[in-house]
Amino acid sequence: MRHFRFLTAALLAGTTIIGAATAAYAEEVVVKLWSKADRSGPLRAGNIVAAAEPLNAALKAAGSDKTVRVEVFEAPDRGYDADALDIFKAFAVNQGPDLYVAAHEWIGEFAKSGYAMDMSDFVGKNPWAFADVIPVLWDATKYKGKVHAIPQDSEIRMFFYNKDMLRKIGKDEAFIEGLPQLVEKGEFTMQDLSNLAKEVVDKGAAQIGMIHRPNAGPDYLMSFAAFGAKFVDPDSGQLILPKAELKRGLEWYAANAANGITPKNNTSMSWDEIQAAFKTEKAFIFHQGVWAVAEWMVGDAKGANWPNDRKAYFKKIGWIHAPAASKGGQPANLSHPIVYVVNPKSKNANLAAMLVAYATLPYYNTKHAATTAHTAITNGQTSMPDYVNAWYLDAATPMLARSSFIPNHPDFGRYNGILFKALQGVETGRLTPAQAIEFLEDEMTNELKTSVKVVDKLS
Amino acid sequence: MTTAPRLRVWLDRILFLGPGTLLLVMFFIVPVVVDVGIAFTDMGRDLQVTGFTTENFRRMFGGDRRLPSVMLVTLIYVTCTLAIFNIGYGLLLALLTTALPDRAGGFFRAIWLLPRMSPSVVYALLWSWVVAPTDFGLLNQALTAVGLPLADLKSNLPMLLVVLANGFIGASFGMIIFTSAIRSIPQHLFYAAQVDGAGGLAIVRHITLPAIRWQLSFVTIYQALALLVSFEYIWLITNGGPFFDTTVYALYVYRRAFENGQYAYGAALALGLVLVGAALALVLWRFFDMRALLQKPRIEVS
Amino acid sequence: MDVALAASAPETTDWERLAARSRLRRRTTTALLYTVLLLGSLPIVVPYLWLFTVALSGRVGASTFVLWRTLAVLLPALLIWSILRVGIDDRRRLRVCEIVLVIVTFVALAVLTGPYLHTGNWRFLWNANIADQLKGAAGVGGTYPSVWTAFGNSLFLAITQMVLVAAVSTLAGYYLSRFDFRGRGGYLKGLLVLHAFPAMTLIIPIFLLLHWVGLLDTLTGVILVVVALELPFAIFVMKGFFDAVPWDIEMSAMTDGASRRQAFLLVVLPQVKVGMLAVAVFAFLRGWEEYVFVRTLLLQKSNWTMSLYLFWMSADVMGTDYAMVSAIGVFYVLPSIILYTMCQKYLTQMTLGGIKG
Repeated sequence: MRHFRFLTAALLAGTTIIGAATAAYAEEVVVKLWSKADRSGPLRAGNIVAAAEPLNAALKAAGSDKTVRVEVFEAPDRGYDADALDIFKAFAVNQGPDLYVAAHEWIGEFAKSGYAMDMSDFVGKNPWAFADVIPVLWDATKYKGKVHAIPQDSEIRMFFYNKDMLRKIGKDEAFIEGLPQLVEKGEFTMQDLSNLAKEVVDKGAAQIGMIHRPNAGPDYLMSFAAFGAKFVDPDSGQLILPKAELKRGLEWYAANAANGITPKNNTSMSWDEIQAAFKTEKAFIFHQGVWAVAEWMVGDAKGANWPNDRKAYFKKIGWIHAPAASKGGQPANLSHPIVYVVNPKSKNANLAAMLVAYATLPYYNTKHAATTAHTAITNGQTSMPDYVNAWYLDAATPMLARSSFIPNHPDFGRYNGILFKALQGVETGRLTPAQAIEFLEDEMTNELKTSVKVVDKLS
Repeated sequence: MTTAPRLRVWLDRILFLGPGTLLLVMFFIVPVVVDVGIAFTDMGRDLQVTGFTTENFRRMFGGDRRLPSVMLVTLIYVTCTLAIFNIGYGLLLALLTTALPDRAGGFFRAIWLLPRMSPSVVYALLWSWVVAPTDFGLLNQALTAVGLPLADLKSNLPMLLVVLANGFIGASFGMIIFTSAIRSIPQHLFYAAQVDGAGGLAIVRHITLPAIRWQLSFVTIYQALALLVSFEYIWLITNGGPFFDTTVYALYVYRRAFENGQYAYGAALALGLVLVGAALALVLWRFFDMRALLQKPRIEVS
Repeated sequence: MDVALAASAPETTDWERLAARSRLRRRTTTALLYTVLLLGSLPIVVPYLWLFTVALSGRVGASTFVLWRTLAVLLPALLIWSILRVGIDDRRRLRVCEIVLVIVTFVALAVLTGPYLHTGNWRFLWNANIADQLKGAAGVGGTYPSVWTAFGNSLFLAITQMVLVAAVSTLAGYYLSRFDFRGRGGYLKGLLVLHAFPAMTLIIPIFLLLHWVGLLDTLTGVILVVVALELPFAIFVMKGFFDAVPWDIEMSAMTDGASRRQAFLLVVLPQVKVGMLAVAVFAFLRGWEEYVFVRTLLLQKSNWTMSLYLFWMSADVMGTDYAMVSAIGVFYVLPSIILYTMCQKYLTQMTLGGIKG
């Protein structure tokens, strides 16, 4: 009898101890997320935090004791370039995050330094999250052929043109509505665009033919790409300076300024002036991106009131890619995706990757896309009610098929800045296109040294 | 019990002169040495030195296509601002305000010191707004009021803008120096000249100007040096101008280093400026009363 | 004989008329001087006035509406005031007229500009997330610091710098003035060269130095740099003041039994208070407005000073609110102006004045 009681006691004690130990091991895993505090994308971080919920539910259902909590660090940098450098610094002092948001062109450097996990296998093993991602977006996540990040969003840029002005100068509806198609087929060229803008200005329907942003940015790369410029060598990953193609692009910009199509001081105007010029219908064409529609084109911002609904808006404004440089060529477009990257050396790499998988689901991503006017990353998103209601996104998504990406090269920010300076030089008349090419060569070789290869002409 | 005299002497020296000397050495002498060192390396954006080279100087003396125009811009900027504003306008203000009773003159001098005393960011912001190319800029409002077309100084006449903005600041320094100089001219000279029938202009030409010759030369050299190395206002207002139009040498050095990441080249360029600055500073020696400055101290060390 | 008698009477000089004529000439010259100087001062004063009026009345964009109205009231008021001062000689009557003028001006201003004044532009003072609201939807952490962070940083920078400069330069100035030592001449000559030396050219090596020492992106680093650059001027000024203090004061204190340092602290220091004040004020103003070094050596947003805050708020990144920027500008410039007007007398007496080009 005593033995039995002793045994029971021992058994009870044992179970309690084991139970307590197990309870103690029901751990909370903290996943550190680094995200640049971006006013145009608070849900980039928010979605990951929200994704912890289904992940925890799945873990519980699988019988695991782990719960995941996401801790967000919002970096205050102004741009993704500066943010990337800060992330590098953090990794260097072993304070790197488990998961971070980055601009895609930095993937190369992150992967090279071992801070970006190779996700190719993970993507293959989780088709429920990734199979529907728009295929072309994967190009932006690759380094040396392997996927090192997951796309988080994208956007599309376009030339907005004012249809009312075309009507005023006597163009017929067929032409006006058919313009995007002509561009798509490669029958309407960059020069045709300039000529059309000049016609609109000459006939008094507009004061400014074409207007663009006043500072450096990815927009111009579309135009240069239309003239055949490629910025990176896909095999070596080295940046290229294609002199002949860039010269043609610069000549186009120079001619526009010289012929009064683009104001000579476009690069020193203020954003307000530029946007107001287009909104109050003083400018015929405006080159920017889809978020501008949500930000100020619809509604009464910037000095005029434009219709809010899709039909009325598209009666007034049309969108085209950057037209081909010569007849029969390809139009060009540009997209600048932001991506999620996982730190391979983190203890929680797999959990972090799972968080990203959940955040890639349409439910989460559309919340971000629809509220901040970024385009979808999966095909399924495009039929969600929220996305469809953000009709400008729906209209923009087909244009993604033409988009290219800026190179995944860490020096590209510098490259782009120098290119912008050259553009400013030719637009203001300080440099001839030939001098601008010399300027580009000088500046790039001095600043980027071996990262850039100067070629006379792309084959 | 007093400490040993020798020890006390040294303690005093360290206590009184130590902090100042330490700071001066650390932030004047050491940087010059560092600058010379860096100028011979290839330090780039990553702040790492991987080799020693004279490439930077080769580039300075022949390979940099922007440098000649930068130097031309610097020359125009320094001479115009110096002549028209720092000396010319400063002298004019000094003459005009000293012709008024003291309080009134002081009042106007105080107004003209305002740009120098207010923070540079605010001053530059005000200038940007005054010359705004739209019709909300004050300048354009004045122009349209008299029927002239809108002006866009920042794009079309950036050098004028830069000279004006820096000139307003520079004139105040000359004004102060010249005022105190004019004030110290003995009054009886003026009375004598007036009795002899000299008019205002003649008085200025024959009495005032010769009496302040020393100050004129001093201000010229001093302000020339200051203009040569300052770029704060240019940076804030035009950021080097459309393209490189108003990029003066000092601004060029800054941008090469901190915007293009070419620290070694920037150090080499800065070295040139350091040498010129040191040379001009030595010229300024002549203008200080060395005897008075270096006069034997009142109490010999015991 | 008749010819002699017919000679005219000796000319009497009409002194009264001559005096009146010269008085008139003097008055017109003075009036002309005033006019010219007043017109010349307008380009300086009007923009600052514009800043103030927009800060108090502007909406989104900056406009000159209130400015012109204010000027329309102030300029005639100034004119009338100067006429009164020149015309009326009786002290009491002048006072009364001046007071009446001030009241009338205020009423006119209130009537013409009152309805347009509002404090909306000052919302950055109590709304910490203003930049994010202004420039778009806020991130979870906020991208710009509150203006009070920047204000605190600026104050810390300016005051610490002021104290350090005053202390170090006083000590050094005293020693240089009173003691002889080997190399004193060289030291002074060196200071002279450094005073005129272009410090801006050393910004690259200073950046590298601070980076290597680990003081980059700290306010301490910036303070040390600015103190060091301010020192040559400050030491010279203090030495000048110490030179002007007769040494018998010290001598008598020392013969009374005080030690050298006690004599310095208790007897000599009070004599150079004016110099210390001038040096301190210059240093404070310099620290308050410091831009180049702060922009280069500080990286994190939490280290921003007012100069950076104003700069980035006014930066045209996809549009900005000029009226609010004016209010920030006024907030930033007010301490400088107040300090300057209070200490103006001392500053204009500095003959080695002027730090910027």
